Amino acid sequence: MAMVGIAVNAEVPKTDLNTLLQVQSQVQKLFPQAKAALVAIQTGGGTASGVIISPSGLLLTAAHVVDKPGREIRVVLQDGTVTMAKSLGVDQATDAALAQLKDLAKPWPSVNLSRDLGKAQPGEWCFALGHPGGFDKARGPVLRVGKIVKQTANNLHSDCVLMGGDSGGPLFNMDGEVIGIHSQIWEERDQNVHVSMAPFLRSWDAMQASQVIRVWGIGAGGYLGVATRMTDQVELEVADVIEGSPALRAGVLAGDVILELNGDAMTDQHQFTAAVKAKAAGDVVNLKLRRAGKERQVVVTLTQKPKEESTE
Amino acid sequence: MMGHSFELSIGLASHAAWRVTVLGPLAWLGLLLSALAVHAQPSRPTLPLEDRTNGHHTLAVLNEFFPAALACVVHIEDSQGKTVCAATIVDGDGYVLMKASELPELKHMHVKLVNGRAAGLREIRRDSRMDLLLAQAIGVTGLKAANFGGTRSLAHGQWLCSGSGKNRALRIGIVSANRRRVPGLGAALGVRMDEKQSKNGKGVRIVSIATDSPAEAAGLMAEDVIVAIGDERVEQFKRVHEIVSKRQPGEVVEVRYLREGKTLASRVRLASRTKVLQNWEGEDFANGGISLRTDNFPDVLQHDLPLVPADMGGPLFMLDGSVVGINIARVDRVTTFALPTEAFWAEVRQWIDFDRQPPKAQSVNVD
Repeated sequence: MAMVGIAVNAEVPKTDLNTLLQVQSQVQKLFPQAKAALVAIQTGGGTASGVIISPSGLLLTAAHVVDKPGREIRVVLQDGTVTMAKSLGVDQATDAALAQLKDLAKPWPSVNLSRDLGKAQPGEWCFALGHPGGFDKARGPVLRVGKIVKQTANNLHSDCVLMGGDSGGPLFNMDGEVIGIHSQIWEERDQNVHVSMAPFLRSWDAMQASQVIRVWGIGAGGYLGVATRMTDQVELEVADVIEGSPALRAGVLAGDVILELNGDAMTDQHQFTAAVKAKAAGDVVNLKLRRAGKERQVVVTLTQKPKEESTE
Repeated sequence: MMGHSFELSIGLASHAAWRVTVLGPLAWLGLLLSALAVHAQPSRPTLPLEDRTNGHHTLAVLNEFFPAALACVVHIEDSQGKTVCAATIVDGDGYVLMKASELPELKHMHVKLVNGRAAGLREIRRDSRMDLLLAQAIGVTGLKAANFGGTRSLAHGQWLCSGSGKNRALRIGIVSANRRRVPGLGAALGVRMDEKQSKNGKGVRIVSIATDSPAEAAGLMAEDVIVAIGDERVEQFKRVHEIVSKRQPGEVVEVRYLREGKTLASRVRLASRTKVLQNWEGEDFANGGISLRTDNFPDVLQHDLPLVPADMGGPLFMLDGSVVGINIARVDRVTTFALPTEAFWAEVRQWIDFDRQPPKAQSVNVD
């Protein structure tokens, strides 16, 4: 049988069979732990992916998956177990997002993220995991092996082919560390775009502790420490009160309906967030709340943003 | 959406929802941003095509010994010499396996052999459960057959390869998901229909057509009024459901319809219903298209090789050249299914044996 007519240039280092086999055995070695840390994320109308990066249950995903901070999201582990998480910081510009699994009692299966951004160079082998098309227990997570094609300021491009439902899932290096979060696809098969660890680490280093990352997105101005949601009756309700926050100390409880802030009626989340942000640390706000049909007034002294609070 | 009926409503809400929320940004934002990125970052080092996973530098080592193994891959051509799909030689005496739903009939087809010769085909067995078709290249012997091996040892991450296209270009990928049975929901046209009867009481009005669907391929359009499917006149959308859902993906139905006062007819090759519904607006675009039948298989291996629908029917190899299965469906951008050896090979061997030596009529002793 004649050789297929592919010109092999002797100058260019070829991939030898041994390299391919090493990639295979390394991926197979890392797969069980990587798979255990992979999750499916089900938000109101969509399904996507994410990855647990600490035993305490911190989760990386894409901003277009969770949309905004303080959102309740359903998380499905690889064995089908359903648990809940809440979105923390969201970086709309780079598509990076964090979430926290709510059950703090257990050490969660997790993987590490890569802090050495320089390592993810074009040509390096990598592998992707995710739930393309949504969670499918019989199929399980879907693995892809490929190479890094390009690194930009906030992204990695790879030839690990992605599709809808993969969003938020992890790209790994050959040490089993997370180097990217699936974000976008372009038209060509090789055009798969991941958020690199750069946007995550930038904000991480500024804040350091996970308590701080919890309140990403609350922004400048005074800090109250409540997450809100709109109820079915279109009322503004306290979804959660952040640990150690001024709201907690003042006795604000999850489930309270927020009626007024300093005498102004509060009717939606944007209005409330803006009203809190407009105050400075040290300002006193009067909240009119309702719980189980009874109205009450709570006085809260706003604090600095939690960067300082975490070092108290 | 009230008053309009998809061919199937089971699970549609959830499909429709994830299309919009999660697939939307992934696909559309991506397309939007591609032009921007090119301008913004002209100087970033980019891995050349030949060094990518399926580039020829990466594959060079395999190409040194793979041509021998690839000799068991042949192609089926139509009477105009156009390549229709791949086939796998499974026995030296010209027996070949193909994906049945890609070849509704073999009458005008021939097989193009590796040495450039062409041979006519004799259909032996069509199996809709596995979507396989066994035929024999007429008057051909001494072919190199696939060397089938077991697949029980295959695990996630195992390298696999196949030939793609007419020139059998080598492609690699990995076992990417659990081996499993893939259930099916029958066939679909890819039309959304008006639930109300049309004004003159005749036929069913088409409200919209699914992207890349059988209806689109056959030239049907929104506002066409379906008046008959096959020999049966239809007046209600429910009846269209019933007729189509009893058919198999890959089967051809004749649809007669009214357009601007004229009665027209199209032959529509049906596709898997699950896929048509999930891919209603072309979300799962697969860089080369998807197979008509993508589900209802008893046992599949899932892999991530970048193949196209016409590659189905060809063999799936391990790096040592042994064959672990037959590629059976291109499903979406990330998914190809293959039937593993154990799912079909013992049965196909029997079909071949019966064909060689048809069992003689048994003499029956009557006491």
